[in-house]
Amino acid sequence: MTVPGAWYLVLAAVLFGLGATGLLIRRNVLVMFMCVELMLNAVNLTFVTFARLLDDVGGQVSVLFVLVVAAAEVVVGLAIIVAMFRRRAAATADDIHVLRG
Amino acid sequence: MIGLLADVVGRVSDQATTSTTTIPVPCSISSGGAKITSVCSDTNSLHISVAYRSILPVLVLVIGALALLAISAVLPKRSRPGLYALLTVAIGGLALIASVWQWSDIGNINAHVPAGAQAALNYRLAHQLTIGQQVFYDRFSVLFMALVSVATILGAMTTDSYLRREGLDGVEAYVLMLMAGTGAMLMAASAGLIMLFLGLEIMSISLYVMAAYHRRRTQSGEAGLKYFVLGAFSSAIFLYGVALVYGATGSTQFLEMANFLGANSLSHNGILLAGMALLIVGLGFKVAAVPFHFWTPDVYQGSPTPFAGYMAAVAKAAGFAGLLRVLDMGLSTQQANWRPAIWLMAVLTLLVGSVMAIAQRDLKRMLAYSSISQAGYVLVGLQAASSTGTAGALFYLFTYTFIIMGTFAIISIIQGRGEARNDLGAVRGLAKRRPLLAAVLLVFLLAQAGVPFTTGFLAKFYVIQAAVQSGQYVLAIIAMLSAAIAAFFYLRVALLMYGTEGEAVAGAPGVSGGAGVSGGAGAGDGSILAGLQPIPSLDGATATATLLDPPAVDEKVRLPVAVALGICAAFTIAAGLSSPMIDFARHATTLFNLK
Amino acid sequence: MDDAPFRPWLAVAVGGGSNITYVEQYLPILLLMVVVGAFAGGSVAGSRLLGPKRPTGAKEGPYESGIAPRYGPAARFPVRFYLVAMIFIIFDIEVVFLYPWAVMYRQLGVFGLSEMAAFAVVVFIAFAYMVSNGALDWGPHQKRGVPATDQLTRSTTSTVRRVPRPHELLLGVGPISMEDYPEPEEPAAQPAPSP
Repeated sequence: MTVPGAWYLVLAAVLFGLGATGLLIRRNVLVMFMCVELMLNAVNLTFVTFARLLDDVGGQVSVLFVLVVAAAEVVVGLAIIVAMFRRRAAATADDIHVLRG
Repeated sequence: MIGLLADVVGRVSDQATTSTTTIPVPCSISSGGAKITSVCSDTNSLHISVAYRSILPVLVLVIGALALLAISAVLPKRSRPGLYALLTVAIGGLALIASVWQWSDIGNINAHVPAGAQAALNYRLAHQLTIGQQVFYDRFSVLFMALVSVATILGAMTTDSYLRREGLDGVEAYVLMLMAGTGAMLMAASAGLIMLFLGLEIMSISLYVMAAYHRRRTQSGEAGLKYFVLGAFSSAIFLYGVALVYGATGSTQFLEMANFLGANSLSHNGILLAGMALLIVGLGFKVAAVPFHFWTPDVYQGSPTPFAGYMAAVAKAAGFAGLLRVLDMGLSTQQANWRPAIWLMAVLTLLVGSVMAIAQRDLKRMLAYSSISQAGYVLVGLQAASSTGTAGALFYLFTYTFIIMGTFAIISIIQGRGEARNDLGAVRGLAKRRPLLAAVLLVFLLAQAGVPFTTGFLAKFYVIQAAVQSGQYVLAIIAMLSAAIAAFFYLRVALLMYGTEGEAVAGAPGVSGGAGVSGGAGAGDGSILAGLQPIPSLDGATATATLLDPPAVDEKVRLPVAVALGICAAFTIAAGLSSPMIDFARHATTLFNLK
Repeated sequence: MDDAPFRPWLAVAVGGGSNITYVEQYLPILLLMVVVGAFAGGSVAGSRLLGPKRPTGAKEGPYESGIAPRYGPAARFPVRFYLVAMIFIIFDIEVVFLYPWAVMYRQLGVFGLSEMAAFAVVVFIAFAYMVSNGALDWGPHQKRGVPATDQLTRSTTSTVRRVPRPHELLLGVGPISMEDYPEPEEPAAQPAPSP
């Protein structure tokens, strides 16, 4: 039995939604960042699924680039988080309140 | 590279089935990036010709950034101050020269276009769609490359004195600025969504670090963190839009997308619409359009001032370049779907930006909201979906670069060490202390307000003209209304600078008593500023006190900043009187009409 | 499936027609899962039952890369751990880009080699910059990195606690800050030079 491609798309959409919801709800900055990574991986799944459905390898090449960019973003993002939260035990978004709004 | 990789991978998997008894023709990819013309096997190699001339300014910036890193690795720390800034200005200048050369080179290409629609199309595809079909070599890209080069030159000039004053001097800021410029150039030159995404990320990641650059100010770290989280969120949304559009149209390249959508009409276009919406949302974050603008005031307020100016100029321009490419080129057949969305975004952006700026008392927050409303005008130009609209948008972005970088440069001068004075009171009486600086700031404020004889007026005129020409009368009226509302807070700053009350309280040294000051405020404020009194504040005395204290900060204007300000002001007035810029902008859009 | 093994006691077929899947070909996977679970569980149970029980303070405490945790998890940590991890990720990404080229390097010839060399040079220059700034210096000495002008009281010598020697543990000596053992440092940098 082959899994229909639409199921993968639905799974990716659900993952993307979970990641987006998690990003908006959670307070720990590291968890927020993990939700961003979840969203990016959902996008990767979408790319690969469409590459399979369209029989076009360009989607898989796009995944390569997206993975690399996500990793670079991880490096920079964690550097910013480390610089901000070095002196605190827990990294919560509630702590960044000097700039209102 | 994606087309290259895809073709190569696909062909290699077939090579086992083809015979090589014939004379092996070397497989090659033409400079236009067409498919591989023959079999690639182990015995012959790929001949790939890469048109480096299409990314010449990008190469200049990248090699320049690497050279800066290498030089800084070799030199001892705290060597000759200002060296890196000088090198960055030189690199930016080289990039500008390269983009000017590119402009004339494209003129050559345009002069040799063969007659006949199909032949012309093939010729253009061969010469202007380069590097594996990922980079467009047209005047649209070149205009943005010139814009980014200019912004880099101005940014390096203004960052130098700021960094030295704050004790943050080092090579990193300049390298980040160059890399952000690289990303912006690639975004504008992109011919496909993946290239657009790569440029977007290169630029954004550099800007995240630049926003958090000031280590000792908590506001800077917070700005960087907020920008990072929201920027990463918007990049992920944009990328999901890319994936959905890829799935709906079968390709990430703008031309192929447009061809597919023009040839077929989708019966179930839900995925395409969803992808389009997500693309607009993701790019809307970058340009700070209104439902997605919440990061802008905090980030501009917290970032180091010259970097906030760079962000306002370059990130916005690059974001709009992306929007123009995606919507006008890739999804041009879907105009009926995205024009209403852009219409709504433009209206909200214009109104919210203008109205919210009135209530701000921090200069940088006020400028952030004002730049949001300026983005609304560019959205008006985008909404027109015509070549005049695009020309107007390009003109607006190019001239806005000078204005906003000049304004932030002046703010970085008057705010003092450690960014002590960012509030409106810092400009009070500036005309008495620094008449030339106040005059330059006045020019920029009037340009942003759209007063005639400045580029701001011409820019607004062109976008509103485009809107009227395409029948969007309501949008044009709202744009003019927003200009009138925005004039209020621009002129308020101008009046604070030139107000005569400044000298009355300047004589009171180190005013700290609230009561005495507000009493002086009541007596000193004449009819000119009476209209400004009802600024809502929690503590009336403190508000007026901050408005009245003359700042006691060092406002020495160093030479590079003075030169930069001079350039910005001169351009703003000169191009406002007679502008060949609009012709350049019109030339920069001609490629759009051919497809 | 022509080469399905003949095991009539496990002849379960799912689906019909041309989509028959013989379930027994997944039997090795199930067996592997069982073996893995048994091995892991058995190892833990075995070490718990058969090992000697002589807990000391040092053994029961959490392991933190050699730094003795005297007062619980440190809220701040030497950032060089993060720097090393970051440099690793960057080079890992570079290797990811080397894989497609490695598959097709023969066909790509000199052009591919020069392009990949340029890519490697770009990453290398960034690496050289990092090394020259002391990002990879390991140990309490900071050779090239000059602290910022307002370093205040924090430096690596104040945040890194030297591992106490055994005789100090017996004597119950507290955390030994490196400030008690000052090392010759480079002279602090000049404040921002006035123009």
